[in-house]
Amino acid sequence: MLPATAAALAVLAALLAWPVPAWLGRVRWPRRDPLVALVCWQAVGLAGGLSIVGALLVHGLAPWGHSLPEAGWAVLTGRSAADPVRGDHWGALTLAAVLTVELLGVLALSWARTARTRRRHRELLELVVQPSPAAPDARLLEHPAPVAFCIPGARPLLVLSSGMVAELDDDQLAAVVAHERAHLAEHHHLYLLPFVAWEAALPVLPAAARAHAAVRELVEMRADDRALATLGGPDPRRTLAQAIVVAAGGAGGGVPDGALAVAGSAVVARVVRLVTPPPPLPPAARAAALLAAGLLLLAPTVLLLLPAV
Amino acid sequence: MASLGDLERTVMDRLWAADGPVAAAGLRDALAERGLALTTVHTVLSRLEAKGFVEHDDARPRRFRPTATREQHAAELMHEVLGRSGDRQAVLARFVGGVDPEEARLLRQLLEETAPDAR
Repeated sequence: MLPATAAALAVLAALLAWPVPAWLGRVRWPRRDPLVALVCWQAVGLAGGLSIVGALLVHGLAPWGHSLPEAGWAVLTGRSAADPVRGDHWGALTLAAVLTVELLGVLALSWARTARTRRRHRELLELVVQPSPAAPDARLLEHPAPVAFCIPGARPLLVLSSGMVAELDDDQLAAVVAHERAHLAEHHHLYLLPFVAWEAALPVLPAAARAHAAVRELVEMRADDRALATLGGPDPRRTLAQAIVVAAGGAGGGVPDGALAVAGSAVVARVVRLVTPPPPLPPAARAAALLAAGLLLLAPTVLLLLPAV
Repeated sequence: MASLGDLERTVMDRLWAADGPVAAAGLRDALAERGLALTTVHTVLSRLEAKGFVEHDDARPRRFRPTATREQHAAELMHEVLGRSGDRQAVLARFVGGVDPEEARLLRQLLEETAPDAR
């Protein structure tokens, strides 16, 4: 096997561990098309995992054969290595195993823990709140704070607090409900899952936390877009923006001024793109981004499966 | 035919409304209009107990009471949702996270500046 394959995968892994997520987190175009950006993030997350584990495997298995399928088959069928197996080969294999187990373990663990918490929340809500016949999947929780959220799952629930209902007019409330239904309809919790795993498995990697935050933000923007498509009224963008501002400022009260403006926050970004919508991404740019995402996934796959020359 | 979830809610409502602990027979009598068998009431109660919503004392017959008020349950849930404890993955997407006062001011200003002028 050519060490070049392992080197290429390692370079790809390094790019995906820092410069690529940093760039994708900094550029402005994702907010013009959150869905395409979400696809790109998924590709970065998957290709990153594939290339780092792949690089370690390719290097570690090099003594057994000239390509990963060949070497893997040789190991599985118990043939002995053609070349001497050195310490660094064992080291790479161990690291590959640890990383794989950690990533998949964290994924399974957070899945299980989340499922348990959601079940408890659902039980609680179904017991505490009488469902209204008009909206059987929605619950109104008695609480002064203006809060809306949804609990994904086989029987999803949409929850509004009485504080939220009190603060918003009917159109704004409809916008909030449409936003939450968009999350549920598009299963946005699944988009977040790989990044939860990355962040938990490699807390030292700053890109992991960054990627997670970016994906959370994009999921909200995507839900805003989906909600707008279903809303009537004279100015749905403004209605939704108002709902966001009311819900965000719910604590309200005295507002000290003179502090530094923090325009970078996710909520501000959402409101800005609602009231001053950026032009949608041109079809060519969309296609290019999707193509890049596809190539990003294809590159490590090909490097892993291709027999070395 | 009422679902089990529906029955659980009804029983909890009764327990919350009661002044003190209630025995299963008392619950059956209070829900007489539903014509429940005593075994059904016991099934519902043990399910509620397994979920941690109900506890019983050592009297004979055993008497049941809620572990927390309706408001306490709501407050606990909100506490987790508002992100001060627990698992923030479990709740997807609170509609809006909290913002600090300065951001809130910025947001209101933004809305005013972009308000349609035609009025």
